[in-house]
Amino acid sequence: MKLKTALLGAACALTFAPAAFAERGTDGEVKFTFPQAVSIMNPFLSSGTKDVYAASLVLEPLAGFDADGNIIPKLVTEIPTIENGGISADLTTITWKLLPDLKWSDGSPVTADDAVFTAAYCMDPAGGCAQLSKFDGVAKVEAVDASTVKVTFSGPKPNPYTAFVGALSPLLQKAQFTPCLGAAAPTCTDPNNMPIGTGPFKVTGFTVNDTVTLAMNDQYRDPAKPAFASAVIKGGGDAEGSARAVMETGEFDYAWNTQIPPDSQASMTAAGKGEFVVAFGTLVERIEMNMTDPDPALPEGERSTAKHPHPVLSDIKVRTALSKAIDRQILSDVGYGAGGKPTCNVVPAPDAWASDNTGCIAQDMEGAKKLLDEAGWVPGADGIREKDGKKLHILYQSTVNPIRQDFQALVKDWWTELGVDVELKAIDPSVFFGGDAGSPDTFQKFYADVEMYANNSDGTDPETYLSQYQCVNAPSPDNQWQGENMNRYCDPAYDAKVKVLSGTVDVAERQKIAKELNDMVTKDSMTVIPLVHRGTLSAHSNTLGGVQINAWDSEMWNVADWFRVK
Amino acid sequence: MLTFTLRRLLLAIPTLLVISLVIFLLVDLAPGSPMSEIPLTVPPEVRKKMIEALGADQPVMVRYVLWLRQFFWVEPATLIDGWFGTNWAGGEQRILSWQSRAPVFTVIGQRIPQTLTVIGTAYLVGILIALPIGIYSAYRQYSLFDQLGTLFAMIGFSVPTFFSGTLIIIIFAVTLGWFPTKYDTNLSVTDWPSFVKQLQQMAMPVMTLGLANAAVISRYMRSSMLDNMGMDYVRTARAKGLTERVVVLKHVLRNSMIPVVTVIALGIPSIFGGAIITENLFGVNGIGAALIGAIHASDLPMVQTLAFIFAVLIVTFNLIADVLYGLLDPRIRYD
Amino acid sequence: MLDAKAAPLVQVDGLKMYFPIYSGILRRHTGNVKAVDGVSFDIQAGETLGLVGESGCGKSTVGRALLRLYEPTAGAVIIDGENIASLAPEALRKKRPTMQMVFQDPQASLNPRMTLAAIISEPLVEHTSWNAERRLERVYELMDAVGLNRRFANRFPHEFSGGQRQRIGIARALALNPKFIVCDEPIAALDVSIQAQVVNLLEDLQEKLGLTYLFISHDLSMVRHIADRVAVMYLGRIAELSPRDALFERPLHPYAEALLSAVNEPDPSLARRPRIILKGDVPSPARPPKGCNFSTRCPKAFARCHAEKPELQEVEPGRQVACFLYDAKPGSTGTTEAPANLRQEHNQQGEYQ
Repeated sequence: MKLKTALLGAACALTFAPAAFAERGTDGEVKFTFPQAVSIMNPFLSSGTKDVYAASLVLEPLAGFDADGNIIPKLVTEIPTIENGGISADLTTITWKLLPDLKWSDGSPVTADDAVFTAAYCMDPAGGCAQLSKFDGVAKVEAVDASTVKVTFSGPKPNPYTAFVGALSPLLQKAQFTPCLGAAAPTCTDPNNMPIGTGPFKVTGFTVNDTVTLAMNDQYRDPAKPAFASAVIKGGGDAEGSARAVMETGEFDYAWNTQIPPDSQASMTAAGKGEFVVAFGTLVERIEMNMTDPDPALPEGERSTAKHPHPVLSDIKVRTALSKAIDRQILSDVGYGAGGKPTCNVVPAPDAWASDNTGCIAQDMEGAKKLLDEAGWVPGADGIREKDGKKLHILYQSTVNPIRQDFQALVKDWWTELGVDVELKAIDPSVFFGGDAGSPDTFQKFYADVEMYANNSDGTDPETYLSQYQCVNAPSPDNQWQGENMNRYCDPAYDAKVKVLSGTVDVAERQKIAKELNDMVTKDSMTVIPLVHRGTLSAHSNTLGGVQINAWDSEMWNVADWFRVK
Repeated sequence: MLTFTLRRLLLAIPTLLVISLVIFLLVDLAPGSPMSEIPLTVPPEVRKKMIEALGADQPVMVRYVLWLRQFFWVEPATLIDGWFGTNWAGGEQRILSWQSRAPVFTVIGQRIPQTLTVIGTAYLVGILIALPIGIYSAYRQYSLFDQLGTLFAMIGFSVPTFFSGTLIIIIFAVTLGWFPTKYDTNLSVTDWPSFVKQLQQMAMPVMTLGLANAAVISRYMRSSMLDNMGMDYVRTARAKGLTERVVVLKHVLRNSMIPVVTVIALGIPSIFGGAIITENLFGVNGIGAALIGAIHASDLPMVQTLAFIFAVLIVTFNLIADVLYGLLDPRIRYD
Repeated sequence: MLDAKAAPLVQVDGLKMYFPIYSGILRRHTGNVKAVDGVSFDIQAGETLGLVGESGCGKSTVGRALLRLYEPTAGAVIIDGENIASLAPEALRKKRPTMQMVFQDPQASLNPRMTLAAIISEPLVEHTSWNAERRLERVYELMDAVGLNRRFANRFPHEFSGGQRQRIGIARALALNPKFIVCDEPIAALDVSIQAQVVNLLEDLQEKLGLTYLFISHDLSMVRHIADRVAVMYLGRIAELSPRDALFERPLHPYAEALLSAVNEPDPSLARRPRIILKGDVPSPARPPKGCNFSTRCPKAFARCHAEKPELQEVEPGRQVACFLYDAKPGSTGTTEAPANLRQEHNQQGEYQ
């Protein structure tokens, strides 16, 4: 009886707990710390995650994603679908209905004109909008009436949830940004730093690359939220320092991107002041195989191009053997701890889109050796495999990064055991990712046999991501080395399937095709060797309630619901 | 002295122009692109557009001339406009950071106070610690105190600030819980409690840097004192029957201070330069943190402007050190 | 001078000045540089005692230890009735006006950042209660006394010539009316043309003010000019202490003999003494020879010289020698011809020019 009473009491307490906090601005201040400081509060001019997340406290899109990757309405009454008529049957328009009585934090009403303006702002060719791809295929955006936004695409758009969806594509206030169109965009310092939004907070102070101070938005649509009266985002330092400020000293409530070594994760958790949470998005650390010949002896312009297939890696047996020799679990544990898990997919999430391919997880050194034997690569006198008098030599490049160097060392050990002569190379990330067509060390040029980096799909739908592996996207002198198909993988069947995907509307069908595409580049062809599915490790204090880690939108997507645990 | 100063100032102009060009070319030649921070999900065409919007695709000489004009005409004009409400600048484009799109000088203006308070205090504290240590170490050469002073200096010299800083954080913030690990820039000192808070948040960065500064200066002080201790005029002073206090503080110290003051003056530009690692470690949003942030983001206008300002400061303080030398040492005349 | 049997102004007894050597990883005290190793002499009031010897023989150290600019290792230095070597610091400071020093390098001995007036008047600030006006008056007096133009009072040392600087050094030393002045190679750094001026100035001042000098120099002709008695030092010890004329006429100690043979004689007809060139180097003061310090180079050394250290003793009236050659005939008039066999040995070992 007593137990029953106690349980009931606890249940009641749980039920009423949120209600107890359900009053705006009663919980004081919530303090964030980011290892990289916020530079700008306008996501259209910066694709830095730090800036996008900070802006998400203030600026909101029409719709966002929840923790499971489901699309949810934010500023609209419901998510437009074909069923409810929001999406036209020919897939060329999507119509959003704004919530009634929606107000900007300055008290003025939010209208469809703001959305029209936002689209014009980002699509202006002189503006340098970082989120232009969100408006890809958008023909026009118009205000049907004050609260109805109609987006028309130039052709059928199976996934129309791009413009105005997610933290990368929020709504700007027309009144504030009108002077900032086009070439004037970067010079609009004040609006860029202190945008007026609809979110739970508004900016009260902004110091570039340091601190953003925010106060609750009195005009926020839910009168009971946010629970916090103010917020502050302090940036700078490093992941270790940010994690420490939450987990050990308790100075801050939430630290984003606290990617620290697994042993530090454990010791900080032991301090008992907070916990780490991981957002598993689609980021995959992988080794990409070069299907073309990077031989320096080849003339410039032909090196690493489709003209010359790779003399060694063109053989799938070699690629498979290299994959089999790797123990992905060890890599994940050593490099990321709780922040990573081994994977065999380039599209590891959301679950509905991810292939159930796990064949690569278990290391199979013997199998790998056997494959190489079959391929004709037999151990020479020095233990290095040879074929036709040629040694099995692999140049393995990556960026300068302690975890990547650990990975390189581990993988080199395994491949050496396999009888492969591995040469390691580490390149400054700003060069590797810099995309300078004049540099031989970019990941696009790929003047190596294999290279390792991480890449991810933008959002839940991997269509764009998977379409990168089409023949036409191979970097080459013809496109100033600007393609995304680093491997120069080229399979007409793959290209055909991508076309099918872009024409498919049914989600289940799309997921099926996506899985097939994923399998084609990974387990079927071993062109890409996925290693670790990387999450974003963040830390929050035990006194902060309501945190729901989200990999598909801003991590602060539900900051309005956060409260102080008392 | 005046002629000397003027001549040096005139000479500084071509020097600085050359320095600015060299900095510009070096920064430009450095590998990396302002776009390397952008996630791979942003397509190449968008990247290209972003680069164009920044003006980063212009030839280097065009950008250099534009920067010169902005630095030497637009920025001062904007400053004067701000003071007197005039309109010299005429709304011309100021130097904009690629990273934050904010005018570089606004950012610098925001950051100078933090750098000066924290790094400046650390420098001052360093000097205040170093001078007595240096003086007494030299006075009692090879004593236990001298050995400890040497040990202190060795630690200060050889332990990098990222290590000593982390150690200090672990001791004073994590274990003892005395000081905050992150510097609160928005704290304004208005009353006693906020002043105490300011002191608390300054304590750890000041300790970290003060140790390093004190190590350097104490060694200079010691060796300069030792140089002078053995001089005949010190013996003369003793033979005069002066007290040890007067001998050391008046005769030895005053002469020993000449090179030390120069070293201190030459170190002042480094205050403005901030302390990259320390500022970053403790979240002090000073110039050093701005510089490293800009370097990481390949924010060339910011890096160029900061580097050039450092060059100006270094040239200026070299001149100041020379003039000080002339003022302090009657044997030196610049005629 | 010899008849003045009143207590001498300066009495030095068994003065030792060792500088410790630390070596090894643990910087252990492993030995001593015996810069001055048991030196005794007296100086009568108003007398000038010349102290000569090669560089490094410890003569400057004697001067400094005498004024306790070094802390002597052992021995007593009684100046004007008080033992300087054991005086408490404050008492010593009070005593300083009585004894002063003129240094070898006038440039280095003057604080470069002080004006001439400040340098000369500083001891007055310390030891008198005079006001600024009175002090300035005294500064002018002293400048007059040493022959410096009063206009120079506000100049810095580097604006003067070497001779002028040494005059400043002397003026400074005289500021507090000392009784005893140690002149540590006061002319060594000066041009020859200036040397005589400074020495004459010192002589004049001695006459006028009744000063007592210890005149340290390696310039034998200058010592011969100014000193009443001369002490010859070798490797931290006094070899011979004799009245000037007697010494220059007939040096008793073999080292003194060798040293004096090097003096240039202005009158060629008098240049009768053959020059003796000593062989070998001066031993390190950290490891002096077991017997007589000079035994390693002495042309007349015999077995005993290598075993025992000779003490300074009076072998003729007013003449003290530390040499076993004179040990056998205490109190006799003594002669260098004495042991003929040794004389021969001398001839063989020394070279005659």
